[in-house]
Amino acid sequence: MVRNNRSSAWRFIWIAAFFLLAAGMLFASPQPEEKTLNFALSGNPDTLDPHKTSGTLTFQTVKSVYDTLVEPDPEGKLVPALAERWEVSGDGKTWTFYLRKGVVFHNGDSLTSADVKATFERIKSEETASPNRNEFEPIQSIETPDDHTVVLKLNEPWSPLIGTLGSGWGAILPKSLIDSGHDFASQPVGTGPFSMSEWVRDSRIVLEKNQDYWMKGHPKLDKVVMNIIPERAVQVQGLMTGEVDVSYIIDEEDVPILEDSGEVTVERKPTSLIMVMSINCSDPVLSDLRVRQAITHAIDKQKVLDVAYGGGNPIGTFMDYSSAYYKDFTDLYPYDPDKARSLLAEAGVGDDTVLEMFLPQNYPPHVKAGEVYQEMLTNVGLNVEIKLVDWSTWISDVYRQAKYDLTVIGHTGKLDPHGTLANYGRESRYVRWANEECAQLIDKAAVTSGYEARKKLYDQALEIMAREAPFMFLGSSLRRVVYRNNVEDFRMTPNLDTFDFRWTDLK
Amino acid sequence: MKRKSSSRFLYIAIAYLAILGAAAAAAPWVAPHNPTAQNLENRFEAPSLDHPLGTDNFGRDILSRVIHGSRSALLVGVVSVSIAVVLGSVVGLIAALAGGLVENTLMLIMDSLLSFPTVLLAITVVSFLGYGLAQVMGAIGVIFSPVFARLVRAETLSIKTEGYVEASRALGTPIFKTVFKHILPNLLGKVVVQCSITFALSVVIEASLSFLGLGTQPPTPSWGLMLKDARNYLVQAPWMAIYPGLAIALTVFCFNILGDSLSERLNPRVYRR
Repeated sequence: MVRNNRSSAWRFIWIAAFFLLAAGMLFASPQPEEKTLNFALSGNPDTLDPHKTSGTLTFQTVKSVYDTLVEPDPEGKLVPALAERWEVSGDGKTWTFYLRKGVVFHNGDSLTSADVKATFERIKSEETASPNRNEFEPIQSIETPDDHTVVLKLNEPWSPLIGTLGSGWGAILPKSLIDSGHDFASQPVGTGPFSMSEWVRDSRIVLEKNQDYWMKGHPKLDKVVMNIIPERAVQVQGLMTGEVDVSYIIDEEDVPILEDSGEVTVERKPTSLIMVMSINCSDPVLSDLRVRQAITHAIDKQKVLDVAYGGGNPIGTFMDYSSAYYKDFTDLYPYDPDKARSLLAEAGVGDDTVLEMFLPQNYPPHVKAGEVYQEMLTNVGLNVEIKLVDWSTWISDVYRQAKYDLTVIGHTGKLDPHGTLANYGRESRYVRWANEECAQLIDKAAVTSGYEARKKLYDQALEIMAREAPFMFLGSSLRRVVYRNNVEDFRMTPNLDTFDFRWTDLK
Repeated sequence: MKRKSSSRFLYIAIAYLAILGAAAAAAPWVAPHNPTAQNLENRFEAPSLDHPLGTDNFGRDILSRVIHGSRSALLVGVVSVSIAVVLGSVVGLIAALAGGLVENTLMLIMDSLLSFPTVLLAITVVSFLGYGLAQVMGAIGVIFSPVFARLVRAETLSIKTEGYVEASRALGTPIFKTVFKHILPNLLGKVVVQCSITFALSVVIEASLSFLGLGTQPPTPSWGLMLKDARNYLVQAPWMAIYPGLAIALTVFCFNILGDSLSERLNPRVYRR
């Protein structure tokens, strides 16, 4: 008995000591727990230089590293960012931006007007070969009367400029690093809410909080780890096990399991994507308007949206459904297979004409849509052959050289309608559709200021596009953003498809 | 005992392959539905009487697609193995009979082909030739030819020095006659065994390439392509992955069994044991 007592007393002491030690270690830890958000990015960006690519993945990554002079607010309206305010002269040719004071780059440089000038000159330089260079073309000269004032002189009044300055490719870089030839492609340095600390290609990108960010109290997170996870099924598993906090590419089919898990919240948000089946109008068969009308009549748009893109709103012209410039033309060529058959008979096109449909196979929704299109087109008597191609082939052969008959793709929305419509009606665009009237209306709208006046011109241009059908306009899809229940206020930038982690917090 | 069980496996394998061959040949009559017809109202339907193996993400009947898919699999097997056998045997024979520099050069080329991982090489070749079934068959044929070339060369080298071959050559038999009368018949057994194994591998490679989108183009049914589609719906509709996967596994397994049994039967050394 005595022995037994003693040994249990010893046991008690040992256990108490252990707990004391553990408690001591807990209290000794000097810092509160880091708030790290694990984000699922759907692919590896080709470069992180915002001036040398048009890849969405790049802008999605560097959005947190860079700032722009202006930025879209949650409603898509452009509001001050690095510029505190701006003025446009009466003739629309002189734009003056007043920069925010006390903004510092991640390398310690203070933001001045010289950085803005050097940045825009970098984009305009032929050497940079920026795909967005033409958007900066109207800027004739950049003046810097003092450290915090930038004056842009344009050679014509150019309304779309403000949208350009608010887009990802308007990111402001530090002049000192531009001059020293810094490798922005792998080491971005900006003024943004996070700085990039690590990029392990095809694995992850790590962003660390910028303690000196100009927006007081933001960002709220200490760290964002962008895990590169191309497989949707893996993202779904990650959301359920907690390895992934936020994912933005979830399919409607995944929603039931995710909701059953009780761990996540699913939000359906309209995207600014313009989903289309593009038609090569330089093809002898497809240059016939009746054939293009027949293609539109053959497609049950809502069904394709539901099956391939997880729902959305059908559209009838080349503008995203949620845009302020959108106009409804869906009743022009409604779903009517019989009409399609008679139009094809009139045009003399039968199943002896093989149309090749190129599908970018890295985008499963477009491939799925393509398979449904093929079935619907076969149903009205067309002979469509599917060719799967990889993304680089799609860009070089289909998009640049127009070596295709039909293809399926989504055009991302832009902050300004000119970004969407520029040069349509001219044969330089990959649909090879020529309509001088439409092209001129679009040009004119760009040098017109005021929403009402521009809307009138765009209405006419969009009606021509709807009637002439250089695309089969499908619709704007819904996006399912899924986040774990402890994530608060995850935002996406309207029209730009990028992520805004500044507001996000973890409970 | 061992012999008995292995022959039982052999009969099962032969029966399965016979059924597969028949199904492939008679696919349009055997399949209950059109393999490419979509029914968007009946997507992800679980196996039922009307659709014994369920439906896929476009509401297409999976049984019909598995049956039609056997056509691409077997077609690729037959064509690419034929290419490999013909190409490999010609190279192997020439190398063995010519000797010297010709032999060294030819075998160097063959060995360097062998040094690449098979699927990687297939992807490279197909990327150059363009995607599609014909390109895949050509690529697999070329890739597997070194195996046959080495086999044929090695065997020819040993047969060439057999007494009866040398005697016949000494009597002035022309080289072509020697090849067809003495060398090829002696090679046949080993080549047939290798064919069976290569056939199984080419089925796997066709499936892999189609899975990657480089092989059979949709909507033509192919097992690899079906797996590619199924990948995203493993939880919601597991039948989309199970049946084409099973078809690939069984086919490969049976060809391997066939190859093993044939090598036991055709190889005199093993047979005597």
